[in-house]
Amino acid sequence: MCKERRAWMMRDDRLTSLAYRGRVYILLLLIVGVMTAIAPNFVTAGNFANILKAAGINLLAGIGFTIVMISGQLDLSIGSAMTMGGMMVVGLEPELGWVGSFSVAILCGVVLGLVNGFLVARTKVNSFIVTLGTMIIVQNAVFLYCRGGTIPASTFELSDWFQRAIAAGMTPQIMLPFIVMGVLAAFLRFTPTGKGFSLVGGNQQTAWYAGLNVQRYLIGAFVLSAILSTLGGAIIAMSEAGANPTMGDSSLMTIVAAVIIGGTSMRGGRGSLTGTTIALVALAALINGLSCRGEGFEVQLMASGLVLASIILYDAYTEHRREMRRGRKPDLLKELRMLSQ
Amino acid sequence: MNDIGIALELKGVSKSYPGTLAVDRVDLAVRTGEVHALIGENGAGKSTLMKIIAGSFDDYTGEVFVGSKNIQLHTPAAARAVGIAMIHQELSLAAPLNIAENILAGRLPARRGIVDRGLMLKDARRWMGLVGLANLDPLTAVETISPHEAQLVEIAKALANRPCILVMDEPTSALSREEVQHLFTVIRRLRRDGLAIIYISHHLPEILEIADRVTVMRDGRKVGTHSIPDVSELQLAEMMIGGAVSDLYAKRRMQPFEERFVVKGITRYGFFHDVSFSIRAGEILGLAGLSGSGRSELARSLCGIDPMDKGSIALSGKPLRFRNYGHAVSEGVVYVPEDRKAQGIALRLSVRENALSAIIPRHSLHGIYSAARGSNLLQGLLRQLEIVPPDPKRIAGTLSGGNQQKVLLAKWFATQPEVLVLDEPTRGVDVGAKVLIHKAIAEIADSGKCVLLISSDLPELVGLSDRIIVMCKGHVIGEMDKARATETSVLLAANGERGALSA
Amino acid sequence: MKGKERLHGILNTLGVYVLVLALFAVGCLLSQEFFTEKNLLNTLGAVALLGIVAVGVAFVTYSQHYLDLSIPGIMALSGIIAVSALPYGFMASLTAGIAVGVTIGLVNGLVVGYLRLNPIIWTLAMMSVLSGVIRKVYAGRQVYPDEATAAGRAFLDLYHTEIFGWLPLPIALLAFIAAAGTVIMWKSGFGARLKLTGSSYEVARMTGVHVPRTVMTAFVICSVSSSIAGILLTSFNRVGAQYIGKGYDFDAITAVVIGGMTLTGGRGSVPGVVGGVIVIALLNNIMSLVKIGDFTIGSFEKTIIQGAIFILVVGINSYVQRTSGLDDA
Repeated sequence: MCKERRAWMMRDDRLTSLAYRGRVYILLLLIVGVMTAIAPNFVTAGNFANILKAAGINLLAGIGFTIVMISGQLDLSIGSAMTMGGMMVVGLEPELGWVGSFSVAILCGVVLGLVNGFLVARTKVNSFIVTLGTMIIVQNAVFLYCRGGTIPASTFELSDWFQRAIAAGMTPQIMLPFIVMGVLAAFLRFTPTGKGFSLVGGNQQTAWYAGLNVQRYLIGAFVLSAILSTLGGAIIAMSEAGANPTMGDSSLMTIVAAVIIGGTSMRGGRGSLTGTTIALVALAALINGLSCRGEGFEVQLMASGLVLASIILYDAYTEHRREMRRGRKPDLLKELRMLSQ
Repeated sequence: MNDIGIALELKGVSKSYPGTLAVDRVDLAVRTGEVHALIGENGAGKSTLMKIIAGSFDDYTGEVFVGSKNIQLHTPAAARAVGIAMIHQELSLAAPLNIAENILAGRLPARRGIVDRGLMLKDARRWMGLVGLANLDPLTAVETISPHEAQLVEIAKALANRPCILVMDEPTSALSREEVQHLFTVIRRLRRDGLAIIYISHHLPEILEIADRVTVMRDGRKVGTHSIPDVSELQLAEMMIGGAVSDLYAKRRMQPFEERFVVKGITRYGFFHDVSFSIRAGEILGLAGLSGSGRSELARSLCGIDPMDKGSIALSGKPLRFRNYGHAVSEGVVYVPEDRKAQGIALRLSVRENALSAIIPRHSLHGIYSAARGSNLLQGLLRQLEIVPPDPKRIAGTLSGGNQQKVLLAKWFATQPEVLVLDEPTRGVDVGAKVLIHKAIAEIADSGKCVLLISSDLPELVGLSDRIIVMCKGHVIGEMDKARATETSVLLAANGERGALSA
Repeated sequence: MKGKERLHGILNTLGVYVLVLALFAVGCLLSQEFFTEKNLLNTLGAVALLGIVAVGVAFVTYSQHYLDLSIPGIMALSGIIAVSALPYGFMASLTAGIAVGVTIGLVNGLVVGYLRLNPIIWTLAMMSVLSGVIRKVYAGRQVYPDEATAAGRAFLDLYHTEIFGWLPLPIALLAFIAAAGTVIMWKSGFGARLKLTGSSYEVARMTGVHVPRTVMTAFVICSVSSSIAGILLTSFNRVGAQYIGKGYDFDAITAVVIGGMTLTGGRGSVPGVVGGVIVIALLNNIMSLVKIGDFTIGSFEKTIIQGAIFILVVGINSYVQRTSGLDDA
């Protein structure tokens, strides 16, 4: 057995676990650093706002997905929920006014969430299956509604308001998602009810024995996710003064990537809204930087794919290492170290 | 010490499932400040009775009194409300969460809607101290602590509900002897504080050590309740089975054949170091040691499931280097895992599919597999191990624990291995099944094969093994021959006392 | 007792065919056009391609890995590559197309089998990557087989080839693949190992089964089937394009589920899956024939109905399994 392997196996891995947990921040710093170096016009206040705006587009749906994942489930319908929200808000505005169409849109979100939640909680069907089905249904329903075309808003007043910079280039369109995210993150981390989601995701049986109403939590998670996605889509449509039926298409993939990169465990019970947020910002920065350099859409896609791939591989590697190390006795290692001296 | 108040009383309690009467008019009285053991074979009704007490059923008949008040135990919440807490056999902690969040699950202290972290830590520490976990950080994630510590966290969690009745279902299955002693210290303290503890176990010596009284169940009925000083292990076993138990351990013929399986200097950094031993043909070699001594890890590395960093293995003189476990199985070196549910058998498949799953290549010709080729073998195994019901198409998950263990053993017996490595082969199995399994193991050895037996059940280890090697903290510290090996000497040796070993 | 369980097993598999007969009856009742040669042949054609894909998917589902969401991408890319390789000859074209399937299958199998990544998330990612690759390499253009060359003509004729003069190639391929799939799943060592892996990954590992390799094989089977279907579909559409295969992933998993396979692995059969495919094709066909006054069922509505049926079937499946005591996730 060569010496190098032995040394590697006996190394103290406290440092690696720290890096593992803070990896989103490291990634963000890395990307910003690299982009600052190689992309022209990257470091301007206006561009900073652009990055946040791009991240903000998927932020609300991303938060919803994270909550569902913390509860131990998957929600594939977030993309189509976003599109639905956008379509409803803009499409119904002529008849119902902005307040009316907005309410209807959110209501649709609630219904979607209830359907998802009810099916998962009551019939105990796997959430991936349920949300795959509802995603297909909503996607096609939206297409039916708009007959495949874009729906423009009838007035530009609202979108002007959304796009008007308040401070340092921050517009309501950018700020709203982040504010909502902050509130929800605090709720999840600091209140007993919020912590309940982790318990439900960590071990449903335990949560039930502890007196938590598991069904209510599951339904709640899906309703939250649907509402947030719908809200996200509505905000985009209101800001851009129009909705197109492919709005939410690429969101699912980006959000899934961000959630995983951000450190939320796919098995449930452990997750971080801030992690997802930072990851979305990091990805947005990556894409922004690349487009500053003039790279096209495809390169951006591949770059995001590469980042996701590396994180996934790194995850698999650390998991493998942990498996191999599990049950190791430090006393024995110490003894061997002394013997070899 | 015994406050003669009755904490829990069951009068004429029955519960039936479609087709069977699981519990038949059982009377049970548990005093405050007592450890009351409940024993019985698998299928005797212990689990169902415990589930009734935990409030899992709303359709039992009979009366339940908690502290002289007649209570309807129809929901788990009702059971909790009257102070009944249950520690299950399968740990029910939420793995990604930390210890404090688990102990205080569902009752996190909050001030004006926000979780009070300081109070949470203080509360958690208090319960952890009661169970002897004061040296752990409450913020440690539960998935990183050992099974022993996790079980103590379970108990702390149960205690945090301030119960007056604590039910423990097979609490020592996964513990080493020293961990069991630690647990007993905790139990004794709780008893002193007036808790009524119902202790379910298969392990008769343990019951004689920790319990005050014992109730024996058989076929859903109560056979009798006795004070511990008045009964012996043999009497208890007989009451459980319902007949005389002549000999708890199968007799063996000794065959001093040649060394067949030779292991030299194997090491896996951090798990075990420089282990060497050999097994003769026809020999059962016992592997003794406390939990954490590295026995299972050693076995898994021997069979190619886990890697080995140094050393060599040879079977009948042929050196072996396993690429993976499949390779080992094809060479005849097999490992029967201790966790039958998660690693042993596929609960959703039938008995036949499970039993023949390790020898698929043997019944395949050019890739075409015919399970029918194994039906004679299967019938023989079903008969030999007396698997009930003897129906190959039965789904494994519907069998009792003891029969599932038999299916697991059947699966590996079917491979006709050269070297059979057994890890806790009779864990959670009733006395009748144990005898059968021991007989089957002895038969395999007698046919000239090598058996490596890992067991925390000292009487089993001492009774079955021809020789015993002792592991302590990752090293093999010596061996004991049959004459020298008694439960006491093996225990001492496992604790590091080399004087107990043979020369 | 044995006889009763055997009956149960047969009913499980053939139950879906009862549904087929029922739908057939409904079809005849609902529309004149249903029971015409043209209509039935069209339906059969739809069955063939979906069937080929669904049999492949069945292997992945059987192994407890739910399904492969990168199927549409594999189909499109196989078709495009096949057409692009036509200048090198017809056989080269087919080989290249299938090679695409093999490669992607190996990659998927590697990641899900060896690295143990969540199959849904990974195949979703793979789908995006394939989408991006197609878009980048072909920049939205579509590739047409050159009718002037012999290879090009052979390719265009591929879908319409008839064996023995009367049996359309796609149907023949389906029959062959379904038969092979049945044999592999039920009567091969690999099938038995796959079933064990599908029931419990850990138990399979501790039985000496080479789990990563078994999973990888399942994914390769799935991708190769998709490749074959993709090449045929491209031939039918006479153009290699990005949208080839769209919707096949969802249709395939619906067929698999209707056919009696559960998504938690280790249960189900290939004949059942074929039955599920027939059900879907019949359903689609009936829906397109429905005319109530001016009202016809468009493609969006059809998909919605299919989505609802999908959820319904899985829900019923799950409910039945729960109440019969077999604990499926």
